[in-house]
Amino acid sequence: MDWLQHYFNFRIVGQYTDVFIAGIGQTLWISGLCLILSLIFGTLVALGRLSTNPLIWRPVAGYIQFIRSTPLLIQIYLVYYGLPSILPIGNLLDETQTGILALTIHTSPYFGEIIRAGITSVDRGQIEGALSVGMTPRQALFNVTLPQALANVMPPLLGQTAVLIKDTSLLSIIAVFELMGAGLRMFSETVIATESYVTAAVCYLLIYSMMLVISGILQNKLGGKAWQAN
Amino acid sequence: MDSIFDKIDIVQSLWPFLLKGLWSTFKISILAIFFGSIIGFCLGVTKTTGYYLLTKLINGYLHILRGSPYLVQLYIIFFVLPSLGISWLQFDGFTAAVVSLSLYTSSYVTEIVASAIFAVPNGQSEAARSVGMTRFQTYKNVVIPQAMKLTIPPMASVYVIVIKSTAVLSVIGVSELTRQGEVAIMRMPGDIMFIYCLIALFYFLYCYPVLRFSKWAEGKFGSVGEVDN
Repeated sequence: MDWLQHYFNFRIVGQYTDVFIAGIGQTLWISGLCLILSLIFGTLVALGRLSTNPLIWRPVAGYIQFIRSTPLLIQIYLVYYGLPSILPIGNLLDETQTGILALTIHTSPYFGEIIRAGITSVDRGQIEGALSVGMTPRQALFNVTLPQALANVMPPLLGQTAVLIKDTSLLSIIAVFELMGAGLRMFSETVIATESYVTAAVCYLLIYSMMLVISGILQNKLGGKAWQAN
Repeated sequence: MDSIFDKIDIVQSLWPFLLKGLWSTFKISILAIFFGSIIGFCLGVTKTTGYYLLTKLINGYLHILRGSPYLVQLYIIFFVLPSLGISWLQFDGFTAAVVSLSLYTSSYVTEIVASAIFAVPNGQSEAARSVGMTRFQTYKNVVIPQAMKLTIPPMASVYVIVIKSTAVLSVIGVSELTRQGEVAIMRMPGDIMFIYCLIALFYFLYCYPVLRFSKWAEGKFGSVGEVDN
């Protein structure tokens, strides 16, 4: 093992285990919160995009195009530097909260477009059936359309979630502590690049393989017999 | 009104500076999509030939590139490879940018090429084989020409991903658009929001036509599925 120690020093990584575990926890927590917020906000974006009122769908479409055509890093900078100068509440948010806000603003349109594809994939007859048995349009949306739409688009949603987890690494640039931040801290303290960055990469791959397992289970559950029956 | 003239002054003084950054972004993204497409094409075609071990190896390569953030890959190529002590791996910023982005791009291209080839109906290659073509001829003359048409729309989306990823290169000091903007902000710290909006506009003007092209091409050539970026 001595030749390996020359390239990769396990002992130093061992000293930083708790930092990296804290980083993983932080990454999972941030991306989980962003996931929930983006699902809620993304559903609103999808509904707004599907609206027939041009005063609603045109601004929403513009927002989607803007987010899709500019880099996440620029969006993070815009929120991080811009918010305090526009809104007074900007000063009340710390880096982590700003980062979560920026990531939610970035991810919602992507989720929105996926959910929109899901909603349009639900058969028209389903909604008519729901309305004809006396449901209100709101009940039909929440009890009939959205559950089917979410099940239909589960694979792209999971893919986008994996992208979201990877995107949290950019928050390290505005000094949010997460997995990449753990790697950067180890590098700034020990000045050994290999161990710091390769360990961070391995941790990200661990999270990614966890995602793959979860998505396999979910697709088995949702794509199973119950859904193929209808 | 005074402030508007101020802004016009800022735009005029920053114009050549940001344009230089845009040119650098353009150069890096073109090189990355070019080399990434070559690597991705070779791997994608190899993946469809069905050799068990090769497919497993390529899948591993894809999982590593898709499972870690681009920022981490960039750090590894820029900081870790030089510490291995091999002379041709001592990249400068520009080379590290092109190499890491090409590898990152190739992970997308591989999947696009493979799924496009799988999308060509099986009867096509069976017919080609039955008239006496070799496997190589079947690929070269029948399957790949049909598959390439399907790759155009997703490739445009990938190009947008590449352009957007170049913004990350500012952290290793490559003087592309975002980095030039940051330097401009050091010169004019009062106009931080305006300059970032200006950069966002530059990126928008660059990416939006490509996205529109992708949408148009999807209607014209068909698609092999959405690229999630």
